[in-house]
Amino acid sequence: MRAAIWAEAVKLAGSTVGRVASVAIVVGISVISASMLLAAATTTDPQLLAKLGPVAAGDWRGFLLGAVQITGAGGLGGFAVVLAWMFGREFGDGTIAGLFALPVRRSTIALAKLVVYLCWAVAMSVLLAIVLALVGTVAGLGPIGSGTLEALARQAALGVMSVAITLPVAWAATLARSVLGGVSVAIALVVVAQVSVLAGLGGWMPLAAPALWAISLGITVSPLQLSLLVPFGAIFVVLVAQSWRRMQLDR
Amino acid sequence: MTAALALEKATRVFRNGSGIFDIDLELASGSIVALVGLNGAGKSTLMRVMLGMLRPQSGHARLNGHDLESAPLAEWARVGHLVEYPLAYPELTARRNLELSARLRGVADVTAAIDRTIREFALEQYADRRVRTLSLGNRQRVGVAAALQHGPSTIVLDEPTNALDPAGVIRLRESLLRRAADGAAILVSSHHLDEVARIADRIVVMNAGRLIGDLAPDTPEIERAFFEAVRTDDERATDERANR
Repeated sequence: MRAAIWAEAVKLAGSTVGRVASVAIVVGISVISASMLLAAATTTDPQLLAKLGPVAAGDWRGFLLGAVQITGAGGLGGFAVVLAWMFGREFGDGTIAGLFALPVRRSTIALAKLVVYLCWAVAMSVLLAIVLALVGTVAGLGPIGSGTLEALARQAALGVMSVAITLPVAWAATLARSVLGGVSVAIALVVVAQVSVLAGLGGWMPLAAPALWAISLGITVSPLQLSLLVPFGAIFVVLVAQSWRRMQLDR
Repeated sequence: MTAALALEKATRVFRNGSGIFDIDLELASGSIVALVGLNGAGKSTLMRVMLGMLRPQSGHARLNGHDLESAPLAEWARVGHLVEYPLAYPELTARRNLELSARLRGVADVTAAIDRTIREFALEQYADRRVRTLSLGNRQRVGVAAALQHGPSTIVLDEPTNALDPAGVIRLRESLLRRAADGAAILVSSHHLDEVARIADRIVVMNAGRLIGDLAPDTPEIERAFFEAVRTDDERATDERANR
């Protein structure tokens, strides 16, 4: 397992996709959030202020609520693209043939990919929360109190929980044997999450629960609803491992 | 003596009717078997079945006597293969790719294995370049090096001379001959009959998914003999269809 984890970490660290996604998630979300804060501070246009939503308040709470909203959709997309690439690229590059006939089981390689993805996503989520804290401080939002720390922790937790939501992407990229197959499912996940929120199913829908939980400051989504993420993620981990174990190069 | 790799009455048919049919083939230690055939003859499919990339619908594929599905992982550590695409990630350097391959195969002294392989395949000037910047031939060289650096006792290479320059072909030839002399069981497919005739102990001819016979490596005008074998088999198949 250790060799497989090392191999997957090296591949992700050396990839353009990994680097661009890391920058897009950490810098991109921070820059968009900062831009919204700047717009709120410099405009008197009521229409623009309305569009800025909670960020228009110009305080830590509004700033971090805005960041959570961006992370809920954009961050999810960024994470999912990396996961789709990690699995789909083996088929696109033809390297999958080299992952057979090794003293490492293919299911182990698949699990190693998920472990590396989890570590990367946690690192990005924590880094994003730190950068947002710096941006808010530089923007003059004042000292970081306990409420702000809680909001930053929620921001980081949202990123970590996004890992569980995106796991179907790994399975889809495996079944479709392409990065595009995984990305298509990632788009579908975002759409299903939005529709389920509009249909009032949000809290009970694992795809939407983390973002709703973070946006509502942890009020409208119960711990039981959030805990559904565990079986949801576990099911897809098992499906991915099984698919890699039983895989044949028959296409 | 147990064959290093063996197919026993192995059949694998695809939806379009192509595939391999009723194949018996054994690789013995210390010998090089060359698999020759026209495009679409089933060489790659045979190799995929032999390495567990495809499961036979009937018959068996065995590694040192073990059914592939239940072969111990330690047995796989002694297999080196390159089928269709080299295990060479474009975003990594040649050296890093060799390291990745060595670690996945459980090589004890990774650094020594990499240095030795880089020298053996004359990869010094490309070792620290990303594989995506290398020519097709040099990528192939990295792939062959990755497949052989752990000193495998069973080697399966699908058209390994593809895109290699003459110097690369000679290096590979010498490497395979040396490994066979050290006891490795080797299966190589190729379109270059003259080249395989120089290294093979046995040349197996494949046509339409079946093994149709052997050619002695010292057969004069071996290409003519190969085409004759394929033509005779095609005519036999045509006659059989007509008689049905």
